[in-house]
Amino acid sequence: MATAPAVVSAPRPLVVRRAVNRLTLPVLMLLPALIIIAGLVGYPLVRTIYLSFTDTGLGELIYGGSTWVGLENFKEVFANDRLRVALVNTVVFGTVCVIGTMVFGFAVALLLNQRLKGNLFFGIAVLLPWAVPAIAASAIFKWLFDSRYGFVNWALVNLGFDSFQDYAWFAGRFSAYVAIFITVVWQSFPFIALSLLAGLQTIPKETLHAAAIDGAGPWNRFRLVTLPLLRPIVAVLVVFSTIWDFKIFDQIYVMAAGVPDRAADTAAVAAYREGFALSHYGLGSAVAVVLFLILLAFSLLYVRLIGKEGAE
Amino acid sequence: MRKFSVTVAGLLLAAVVAACGGGDDEPSADKAAGSGSLEGSISVWIMDPGSPKIQDVVKQYATDFEAAHPGTQVDIQFVPWAQAHDKFVTAIAGGEVPDVAEMGTTWTPEFADQGALVEQQAIGEGQYVSSLVDAATLNDKVYGKPWYAGARALIYRKDLLEKAGVEPPTNWDELMAAAKAVEEKVGGGVDAVGFTGLSEHMYLPTIWQAGGEIATQDGDTWKSALNSPEAAQAIDFYASFYKQGLSPKAAVGWEEPDAQTAFANGDIAMLIAGGWGYNSIIATKPELEEKIGTALTPAGPSGKGTAFAGGSHLVQFQESQNKELGAAFVDFMLEPEQLNKFTSEIGFLPGTVDGIKASGYLEDPQRKPFAEQLLDHSAVYPPSPKWGGLEGANIFDGEIQKVMKGQETAQEAVQNLASKMDEEFAG
Repeated sequence: MATAPAVVSAPRPLVVRRAVNRLTLPVLMLLPALIIIAGLVGYPLVRTIYLSFTDTGLGELIYGGSTWVGLENFKEVFANDRLRVALVNTVVFGTVCVIGTMVFGFAVALLLNQRLKGNLFFGIAVLLPWAVPAIAASAIFKWLFDSRYGFVNWALVNLGFDSFQDYAWFAGRFSAYVAIFITVVWQSFPFIALSLLAGLQTIPKETLHAAAIDGAGPWNRFRLVTLPLLRPIVAVLVVFSTIWDFKIFDQIYVMAAGVPDRAADTAAVAAYREGFALSHYGLGSAVAVVLFLILLAFSLLYVRLIGKEGAE
Repeated sequence: MRKFSVTVAGLLLAAVVAACGGGDDEPSADKAAGSGSLEGSISVWIMDPGSPKIQDVVKQYATDFEAAHPGTQVDIQFVPWAQAHDKFVTAIAGGEVPDVAEMGTTWTPEFADQGALVEQQAIGEGQYVSSLVDAATLNDKVYGKPWYAGARALIYRKDLLEKAGVEPPTNWDELMAAAKAVEEKVGGGVDAVGFTGLSEHMYLPTIWQAGGEIATQDGDTWKSALNSPEAAQAIDFYASFYKQGLSPKAAVGWEEPDAQTAFANGDIAMLIAGGWGYNSIIATKPELEEKIGTALTPAGPSGKGTAFAGGSHLVQFQESQNKELGAAFVDFMLEPEQLNKFTSEIGFLPGTVDGIKASGYLEDPQRKPFAEQLLDHSAVYPPSPKWGGLEGANIFDGEIQKVMKGQETAQEAVQNLASKMDEEFAG
């Protein structure tokens, strides 16, 4: 009786110890990063979610004492015209930007993939818009689209479109979105283009040659060979773009400020305005949480789509 | 500039001076220097005046003060107006406040209401511009000392009005007639006025000019007075310039500086602007100086040409660690000879009565209308703690823009605004 347990128990601590040993080092090495992530991402996230269930204003933020209001703020988000419009703007305009960025990025990637003279130079030049801070780019584009002194109106008038004389791009929601769309795509296509270019260069030449020999034209080669092979990359890029374009802030903040009744504000700007300008921190946080959930839903959807593809 | 004027309105943030109580004998406003016991360092936030020359005036204050009080250090930071309100909020929330700050007069009651500011006790009768003291007052306590103030008046291009064959307008009817004449006869892409969608200090005062009120006080609470025929008439009048093409097409989305730029570029003939705007236009285009005329704001149907009295208070924060030094520095900045170095550059009037006397403003024909406008034809917005938030949230602009674009009537706009205001006043 004395021996049996000893025999059984001896290996057990050993297994556990081994497992612990095996885990200790990785955990220790991950710890610094985990602490930083918990501090910089986790804490604000938890706090924002908490705030979204309270009636926190400026006084409560400083001295504490906010009241739990349950789902009141979330009801308000969907009942308030301005906030509901901001959420719709976010989804619609964000989606259009994702499509625009992907299409333009793909076109540039295909061009850069041709063995043309000077492609190294173009490859570097394409990166430049990405290096410009969003707020600076927005200010520059706002100026380019200025009604009287902007380059865009000047060029359009000289091309014969006389109705663009003094055309006020930011006096209406649709025209303002056209200008902002161009700014967003200009800023975000470089990353897409270069990622796709990297993907294109991994496609074996033999596959494309074989397709060509079988009689596939350029369009069919792209549609039936290139695109399917790039699908995993495209899926990841679409997730990234969606996250970026749904939470755009700088471009809207700078360029859409004059659109009548702020009709072009997106959720990120609306959350900021509600919180910091009106000191309705609870309601502002609720807008941010709704945006977070929308992004989470889109991301999960894409991740599942990618997973399915791998399984096929 | 828009925020700039907002700030201006906030007037008297009484410097912390008084609040620190104890200290050496009550800091006298004219001799801040005080006893040799001042030491340590303070940080001071000043709204960015945008010009290096004016920044230097402020920096010189710090240098001179430090020289007069060895062992002290004054650290000046310039904060852009557009971000200032948010920056104050985050600073207070984070407990990282400056010791002394310039604050827009419409913001002072808001932050005082949060308990962030020090009450100012050494406010003498007749020492400061009184409307600015009113703007700093919450529940009979004063939380800021008026630093400078200004009110918008009419500036116009003499040559363009001459070409149109009209005199500078003195009332609404003449203003509308002059605008139509400019539009018809001047040509060359010149529009008559620069009435914009994002400048509440241009359109809200028209309500006073029409004989209306913006809000009325009943004990501790405020109630919007915008749902009135006078207010509707005022907004309708203001928007009609844009609707009839007398203001640039893009102006519906412009802020005040955009209109000033257009005026400096010769694209518009008349503008409602303050002395600071006038100064900056002259600084940009010196050759315009002899072509620009100034006059009082045209009077409305009530016979009044009331403009908004905006300005800045100097305030001290409760969480400041060196209130005594902060108070001394505030009083130093408010000495008449120091004060005028700044106000004459920036184009505002000093916030102290002695300062105005020393400024010589009333003797300069070109600048006299701005001084008269402030002293005799100006008013302040309701000094409610909620006002700063109302401005910050842009509740006015959106409705005015909709009227300008013809998407709703002035009557609907003032009704909507009144209910939004009451909601904020109540919440």
